[in-house]
Amino acid sequence: MSDAREMNSSETIALETTHLTKRYGKTVALQDCTLSLPAGRVAALVGPNGAGKTTLLQLCAGLLEPTSGDVRVFGHSPRQRTTETLLRLSFVAQDHPLYRDFTAADLLTLGRHLNPRWNDTLARTRIQLLDIPLNRKVRTLSGGQQAQVALALALGKRPDLLLLDEPLASLDPLARRDFLRTLMDAQLETGMTLLLSSHIIGDLERVCDYLIILSASRVQLAGDIQEITQTHWRLIGPRQEVEAVASEQTIIEASHTGRQTTLLVRSAAPIQEPGAGASWAVDEASLEDIVLAYLGQQAREQARGREKLEVAR
Amino acid sequence: MIWLTWRQHRIEGMVTLAVLAAGGVFLLITGLNMVNTLQDSGLGACLASHPADSSACGALGTLFLRQYGSIIPFAAALLLAPILLGALVGAPLLAREYEQRTNLLVWMQSVTRTRWLSVKVALVLGAGALVGAALMTMLIRWYAPFDLFVGKFNQIAFDFSGPVLIASTLMALALGLAAGAVTRRTVAAIFLTLALIVGIRILVEFNLRPIYQPQVVVTWPIEKGFNDPAPATVGKEDWNIDSGLLDPQGNRTNGIHCDLPGYTDPVQCGKDEGYRGHYLAYQPADRFWTFQWIETGIYLAISALAVALTFWLVRRRLS
Repeated sequence: MSDAREMNSSETIALETTHLTKRYGKTVALQDCTLSLPAGRVAALVGPNGAGKTTLLQLCAGLLEPTSGDVRVFGHSPRQRTTETLLRLSFVAQDHPLYRDFTAADLLTLGRHLNPRWNDTLARTRIQLLDIPLNRKVRTLSGGQQAQVALALALGKRPDLLLLDEPLASLDPLARRDFLRTLMDAQLETGMTLLLSSHIIGDLERVCDYLIILSASRVQLAGDIQEITQTHWRLIGPRQEVEAVASEQTIIEASHTGRQTTLLVRSAAPIQEPGAGASWAVDEASLEDIVLAYLGQQAREQARGREKLEVAR
Repeated sequence: MIWLTWRQHRIEGMVTLAVLAAGGVFLLITGLNMVNTLQDSGLGACLASHPADSSACGALGTLFLRQYGSIIPFAAALLLAPILLGALVGAPLLAREYEQRTNLLVWMQSVTRTRWLSVKVALVLGAGALVGAALMTMLIRWYAPFDLFVGKFNQIAFDFSGPVLIASTLMALALGLAAGAVTRRTVAAIFLTLALIVGIRILVEFNLRPIYQPQVVVTWPIEKGFNDPAPATVGKEDWNIDSGLLDPQGNRTNGIHCDLPGYTDPVQCGKDEGYRGHYLAYQPADRFWTFQWIETGIYLAISALAVALTFWLVRRRLS
């Protein structure tokens, strides 16, 4: 049964969360997050700093206990069926922490001792191909090399799902390119599912085919990137006709300059004649525009919420 | 896991071994000197021929104590080793993982947190017990000449003359582990560990140890003065805890506070004012092992609580 499911990989769900919520005391870190990530996808988890990305990833990795809701990694709860999920899951934390007085070779030995599915040649050649010295203490390596060692350690485990928390944040552009190359090569070879978080989409746009936008502790949008770009449109037209468009379409964001207005609109069907049909220029929205629109929407709602609070006082 | 624990803590292990070795050399040299003196001076032979009454060799014994008594504190300094072990090995063990966030690395290997912690705790406490046992053995052998005439039931020798030393080493390490899991910061954990160990041990050694069993109190009349000898029932190997005089109301006091006019000799004044006599509160030497096991039990119970708290925190909290 499980074999049949794995063969038909489009059916397999690598990661599923239902109404996942995490609170620290009164602070809400993640609110009612429902997601479903099909196996084999390369997903970008995008949101501003403090949006709850790290919390979501750590909940998925089983490092945190949800306040309510549920996480499933290949059908198992990472907190209740720890051993099963640990075998199939790798997680690289932000700033890729490593034992600083270990050598890269020591870290590979660590991986070999602690992981039954460990592939030593895979991890070792990956490090050697990058000309990273195996016998120098990790703290003497560059940031990019440390990130590569952390990645090799995560890949040597041969995970089916790899979670990476802000993997590129501390790297220079060259190291970013190398890191993503290693990562995507490995993904192509194994077909594993990837979930990478970032506070900007630019880095991940070229490599990801799935997008999750997280802002203010909530999922704003999640789905296939192609589908997302095909259902979002940029409209430029006269300001006084915004109301007319709003009556027919879902406006995600509106920005005004003088008498002209730019709208970001969500619509499954291509938009032929918005509003009264007058003078609107319709364009496909870029992914970056879409991400910014959803993040901006959230920011405005928060601002409105604050205003209401202040009026109430 | 065993490899990882060794790889992470091999430096601490080596340093501990080096300290033990240095201490061992010091004890060996001074110990051999003492044994030689014991034989050359004839004190050893004297004690052997008067097994029941060590006071028969008083002069020789006093000489020996005057010569070597001053090194007892140096040897006792080795008793700091377990405390330092708790603060410098126990406390950073988890605190450093949290501080450098390497817990996020190691908990994502295919080993559960519980197993990871179990192996670490078992290895570190096991090594701690060995260190305690080694220290205990070395110090007992070294102390043997003193044991011959003052016994081992006193505030210093009690600490190393039995399983209490192993238990206090384990407690120091366990408190260090718990402090690391609570504070998650190395420096804070070290200070918390030191405070806990010192606090608990002062409480135990000075407030609890003297009263594990009710003290035996003997009294005898004042005759010549302050140095009237105690009855022969009190041996040198008993642990003398408190001594002094009983005033006319029967209260314990250190000296004579006599208000009667016309006396130049305070002893005579005290006797006439109604001082009831000398008293001595002590724990008989035959209670030594009972006391050792009671204190071992206390330290092991605290260790168990600390380890349980550590497991609870590590399983429950992330960072």
